[in-house]
Amino acid sequence: MIQLNEVHKSFTVKDRKTRVTKRIDAVRGISLEVKPGEIYGLLGPNGAGKSTTLRMIAGLMDPDGGAISVCGHNTCQEPEAVRGCLGYLSTDMGVYVRFTPRELLRIFGEFQDVDPMVAERRGMHLLEKLQLADFADVKMEGFSSGQKQKVSIARALLHDPKVVIFDEPTTGLDVLTAKTVLDLLRIMREEGRTVIVSTHVMPMVEDICDRVGIIFDGKLHGDAPPREILQSRHAKSLDEVFFQLAAESEGGH
Amino acid sequence: MRGALLIAKKEFLELSKDRKTLFFAFVLPFLLYPAIFGMMAKMAKRDEDQNRNKASRIYVADPSGAITDLMRADPKHFELLPKPEGDLRQAIRDQKLDLALDVAPGATEALQKHATFLIGATVDESEHTSELALKRVRETLTGQEKVWIQARLQTLGASPQLAEPLKLEVKNAADPALEMGKVMGRLLPYLLMIMMYTGSMQHGIYATAGEKERHTLLSLMATRLPRNQIILGKLLYIFSMGVIAALLNLLSMGLSIPFMGSGSSNSMQAMAAVANPATLGLTFMIMVPLGLFFSNFILLMGIQARNTIEAGSAITPGIFLVVFLGIFTMAPGVDKMAFLSYVPVVNVCLALRKLFSQQFNQLEYLVAFAMTVGLAAVMTWLSTRILNREKALFKA
Repeated sequence: MIQLNEVHKSFTVKDRKTRVTKRIDAVRGISLEVKPGEIYGLLGPNGAGKSTTLRMIAGLMDPDGGAISVCGHNTCQEPEAVRGCLGYLSTDMGVYVRFTPRELLRIFGEFQDVDPMVAERRGMHLLEKLQLADFADVKMEGFSSGQKQKVSIARALLHDPKVVIFDEPTTGLDVLTAKTVLDLLRIMREEGRTVIVSTHVMPMVEDICDRVGIIFDGKLHGDAPPREILQSRHAKSLDEVFFQLAAESEGGH
Repeated sequence: MRGALLIAKKEFLELSKDRKTLFFAFVLPFLLYPAIFGMMAKMAKRDEDQNRNKASRIYVADPSGAITDLMRADPKHFELLPKPEGDLRQAIRDQKLDLALDVAPGATEALQKHATFLIGATVDESEHTSELALKRVRETLTGQEKVWIQARLQTLGASPQLAEPLKLEVKNAADPALEMGKVMGRLLPYLLMIMMYTGSMQHGIYATAGEKERHTLLSLMATRLPRNQIILGKLLYIFSMGVIAALLNLLSMGLSIPFMGSGSSNSMQAMAAVANPATLGLTFMIMVPLGLFFSNFILLMGIQARNTIEAGSAITPGIFLVVFLGIFTMAPGVDKMAFLSYVPVVNVCLALRKLFSQQFNQLEYLVAFAMTVGLAAVMTWLSTRILNREKALFKA
């Protein structure tokens, strides 16, 4: 359902002090495949290239090299078709606080070409699942970050996407809200959706992910079930694997 | 185009949720202009009444008494005061006096000898009351001068017409509608430009850099809507807000004319004669591409900015350019410079000026229209192209 083949992405940044323009290779030849009914965990430190990879999968950015296919559509050639079958959520995303959740979902239903009646029914169902139905008609101006995150999740899933990309979905959430999100991810797996989750929370990865890929310096390491990674690295936890990779990365430099 | 309309609809829905902005954008103009116009008319009337009813305070140094009685005979207009202490000029500057007259010592004798005598007047030209006093003195002395000339001519046995070889009779060729048209032709393009630009500016910043700042732009981009449709939708919203702001403000100004008091009914009639459907239609037609040009500029600056402050800093200087162009095209004689018909934006102002002045030039209008449409089209193409770039959209 999601296929990445030798994907590259680089950015140019300008050093304000030296005025020198540098090229940064954010993603260096990543290849991976995620199947329906699978939750794939993408791990890595800040700036490793996780969000860039996810944005490329979501058709928000074009890769410089390689190819990405989602639901059989090439992200460069058919970005709209890709985004139509994909639900994307990022911690960077805000919500339109002047609207109520119901209004927001109605509007995004129109954007995603969902029938208004279906959007209303599905939106309310999602809000109920996320324990936010009582706030469906309350302006989001006074919402907590957790409540806003729940609305964002509902927005991302409103058009019933086959592929779901959650970029750090539990960041800033309390334990109860985080559990609700994790439960939702499990349901999505049971429904046969393809899910990619990026996170820093290792126990969460060990708990729900079927396979894990660790990104360091734009390169993918691992790409196996969590248990296999632990065995191959002779580690007790993914945190330990993480530290090992960080040390290797520093040694490589 | 469906995606663009959906985005514009989202923007308007969002705006409709902000009661304060709605009030300031749509209701305030209808309260503000009547209040301003009414207050201005009231102040002008009060000033006029005060000047009409209040006598000018003057000091007359007239040792021979040639004109003192003349002034004293008109207490409605003159109040003769004794010489103030200290410097006379300072007393006028301090507004203890409006004017001082210094009549030559031998004035009466000069009158009898049919000679000329000098009257010196000291005024403060920066003060309206002082200028009014001088005007009154001039009127009184001119009237008296005629009496003295006629008396002199009579003494010489000459005809009273000797000193008046001609009389000039002035007839106004312009009707009130033409006069009003010329005033509107100068003011209207300037007002329309300012209102369209400022009216769309804040909404443009909110819908572009504001979306980045609030981290909502990414959620729009993650939908199946094509990116250029999102950009066009934003453009449509910014443009609509500019046009709505300009129309509402002008409508409110027009409706506020009755609040100006005397003479307003004539102004309304003249305005009604000028603002016929054809003129208004042609005005609106040419303002559409100009509005699109402004909106594109705001969109370009807004989306490329990292935040609302940066966008505001980039867009605000545009106001000065618009003001400068507006004032420039109001200047007398500008409409005679043929090459200006080929200068973008300026040619729109000039075409409108001629349209309202009953000097409509079809070719100049078409040139201005075609150039502005072309400019707006190029800007729209450029906006969608530049803003499609990841660099512009993910700059934060």
